[in-house]
Amino acid sequence: MKKMKFFTNFDHEEQWLNEMARQGYVLVGKSIAYEFVHTQPEETNFRIDYRSFTSRRDFEDYKALFEDSGWIHVAGTKSSGSQYFKRTGAQGSEDIFSDVDSKAARYKRISDMWLSLACCFIPLFAVLISTDAIDVTAFIKPKLLYYTPGLWDMSGGHFWRAFLFETPFAFLRGFTWLLIPAMILIYAIFAYKAKKQYEKTQQLR
Amino acid sequence: MNRDKNLPLTETVYYILLALLEPAHGYLIMQKVEELSAGQVRMAAGTLYGAVENLLKQKFIMPVHSEDSRRKVYVITDGGREILRQDYERMRHMLDMTSTIMG
Repeated sequence: MKKMKFFTNFDHEEQWLNEMARQGYVLVGKSIAYEFVHTQPEETNFRIDYRSFTSRRDFEDYKALFEDSGWIHVAGTKSSGSQYFKRTGAQGSEDIFSDVDSKAARYKRISDMWLSLACCFIPLFAVLISTDAIDVTAFIKPKLLYYTPGLWDMSGGHFWRAFLFETPFAFLRGFTWLLIPAMILIYAIFAYKAKKQYEKTQQLR
Repeated sequence: MNRDKNLPLTETVYYILLALLEPAHGYLIMQKVEELSAGQVRMAAGTLYGAVENLLKQKFIMPVHSEDSRRKVYVITDGGREILRQDYERMRHMLDMTSTIMG
């Protein structure tokens, strides 16, 4: 079974994965969606770390360390960031972190990632503004976004057919650029939330 | 007195450096730390990985050639030995003073 869901909090994500396993859906992989296999309901202990690696060798070494200490790597790739681990037995620790600082540090790493992603779009936005590619008058006079000759002189069914046909194109023409500031905003919000969670986790000491 | 800004070392860092006087890979470091601390310091994988990463950045440890194709092996550097010695002196002084005063 595949399931789409989005989390900004690792602790909630871990709890959700354990809850799914209790209902008989055990995580086996993740790309964009979570991938589950349907088995017997079981008590699991899923934990998530956040790390990306530059070399395959570093990634293998990282996974080997977790395997040696009783955690199987179930999902995540070299550069995916989120790494999902499932506890294999009773030996070893309850958690993949043994102190508050390292448990909090994963929120710092994901916050930095969101922030750098947000920053990537800023120059693009600046270019659009400086080259006058953004036409603000489209908000006031959306009529200008329609290019069909004589459109506004048509009437009845003739008008509506032509109008509705062009509307999606007019919309793309006028407002596609809004995606960029929207992305900057969304990524910045995620970065902020992760940063808050980082501070909150650190205070658990 | 001008003391190294990395002092005092945390208990975990001290034991990791002590463990790496001989080369070891990640899991072996965890086991050695537990043994050296008489079971007082039990590190989890994610925490050890981050600690090793920091020590590499500070150049207190370095990677060495490993027979194992998957597991990286590390050993203490001269800088690591020096900081370990300084922290040892620091604690020794504390112990000396304590026993002088408390008897």
